[in-house]
Amino acid sequence: MPARNHTQWKANPGLEPGEWVDSRVYSDQTIFENEVDQIFKRVWVPLCHESELPKPYDFRTASIGGEPIIITRGPDNEVRAFLNVCPHRGMLIERRPSGSFLEGQPSGNPKRITCMFHAWQFDMKGNCVYVAREKEGYQDRLCKEDAGLRRLRCEVKFGGFVWVNLDDNPKIGLEEWAGEPFQCLRENIDAEPLEVFHYHKAIIDTNYKLWHDTNSEFYHDFMHYHNRVTGFNDAYFARKNFAFKNGHVVVGTFEVNYENYEGFESRGELSFPHLPPNQWYMVDLFPGFNFNLRGSALRCDIVTPLGPDKVMIEFRGLGLKRDTPEERQTRINHHNSIWGPFGRNLHEDLIGVAGQGTTMRPGTEPRNILHGRHENQTIHDEIGMRHYYDEWGRWMNRLPNNPDQPWQERNKEDAVAVAE
Amino acid sequence: MHKNGADAASVVRDTIYRATMALDDQKWEDWLGLCEPEFHYAITAFSPEINKDMIYLQGGRKDMETLVRLLPKHNTDHSPLRRHTSVYTVDVDDDAKSATAVSSFVIYQNMLDGVNSHIDSGESRLFLVGKYHDTFKLENGKAKFVKREVRIDNRRLDKGSHWPI
Ligand code: FES
Ligand SMILES: [Fe+2]
Repeated sequence: MPARNHTQWKANPGLEPGEWVDSRVYSDQTIFENEVDQIFKRVWVPLCHESELPKPYDFRTASIGGEPIIITRGPDNEVRAFLNVCPHRGMLIERRPSGSFLEGQPSGNPKRITCMFHAWQFDMKGNCVYVAREKEGYQDRLCKEDAGLRRLRCEVKFGGFVWVNLDDNPKIGLEEWAGEPFQCLRENIDAEPLEVFHYHKAIIDTNYKLWHDTNSEFYHDFMHYHNRVTGFNDAYFARKNFAFKNGHVVVGTFEVNYENYEGFESRGELSFPHLPPNQWYMVDLFPGFNFNLRGSALRCDIVTPLGPDKVMIEFRGLGLKRDTPEERQTRINHHNSIWGPFGRNLHEDLIGVAGQGTTMRPGTEPRNILHGRHENQTIHDEIGMRHYYDEWGRWMNRLPNNPDQPWQERNKEDAVAVAE
Repeated sequence: MHKNGADAASVVRDTIYRATMALDDQKWEDWLGLCEPEFHYAITAFSPEINKDMIYLQGGRKDMETLVRLLPKHNTDHSPLRRHTSVYTVDVDDDAKSATAVSSFVIYQNMLDGVNSHIDSGESRLFLVGKYHDTFKLENGKAKFVKREVRIDNRRLDKGSHWPI
């Protein structure tokens, strides 16, 4: 077809519903706010890895949907999560990204979480243990026993990641939420303790789902010279995508020929436990978390949506805790030569989603974003995105290709099934 | 200080500034021409988030040669990087055969095609802040790199880069 006029350009793309989405799902402020409330504040979010708080009294801070969160390791070795918000007058209690409460702070004692503002103090279980001049100010009307932190659902699972859910009564437990998609990696990442060796973040003017889309489709391997030369072979084109309930997707494995990129080497010798050489699995969890095991190194991407057209992506690389220094160096090189901020692929992926973000700023004309490739669920089939937006529609009660329409109207049977 | 110390130090400074210009102009061969065969390059950072020293990229001279040779095959952000380097210290060994230097740098990205060229091309954005920790071999009145550690303060790196820093 030659270039199209406006009517032709806006017309339905001639695909089945579900095979394209309306770009407003990537650019609309109200949709974004609904996503934060209806999805992010209700799902299990991996916030960090347990190796980031290895010792009792270590802590790490993060956030979900704008709500600040602190994760602590108690003297009992339990990892717990709380809102990082002081019950007194709402100060952000801990301002550092990580640290240890073994040291005292200017306003407080060792082994205490202290709010610097008026020196209220909490223990590692979130109990309030000190209110400055308590009796003088509150007499018997309020005491420290009434002033505990807000505790959050928290579990360490699937390779030692720390999962938090802002919903006190999540619809689904963590195991049921993600156990099936993680099945393919479990014996590799749960055989022994892992350790984070890499962290960096990107804040990109694009929608968080566009990053997850990129992680869910391999058709874009055409933009990666590295993947074309190391990957494109019969086994690559036979690689399958598997859809799991709750909107998750797993991309099945195949053997990568790293030697085909000049200067790169096989990763066989440092494979994760029980993983055959140079295999590559990928787990994409709804609504935006990615676990990617390329033989010797595990990568994890966590999105924090900041607006309809702004997302923070945190990138982590992990190896085995028992790595020798030499092994660790090799793993780091394997990870960073492709996935590091100065690696060959990540830069290209980020240029891709930044470009999409540029055409989908809030206020741009809605247009069709195609997710309609069918290739028997193999690597260039866009089933991953279709499966994701089906789940997204359910959580949002919006049709992805017509987001002003309720999802339930057109999917009544399915809606009943979900409601049960 | 060695009797040749002052001269050697200025040769070291000269090499650092020439490297800055070669990198700014993406004259990768010229840059590698300032490096010995045993040259080792690394971009490193400390993360207070995970409390670890990290290596973001590293390689020997051969690795860097391959990396720059394959650049045209990659899609990339072509926005030029402009380094402002200041040599802080130069320490010449007593035998005047080697030296170390620490330089501070600030790198601006002169926007070209990275995001939306209609709006932001021509704008310079702060990209990286850090220090070069360099080791040199001194020979025949010249200073050549045997090691460069690019220690950056940024962990927020946004799109990152394909290029040596
Ligand atoms: S706001 Fe925290 S002690 Fe007052
Ligand atoms: Fe990619």
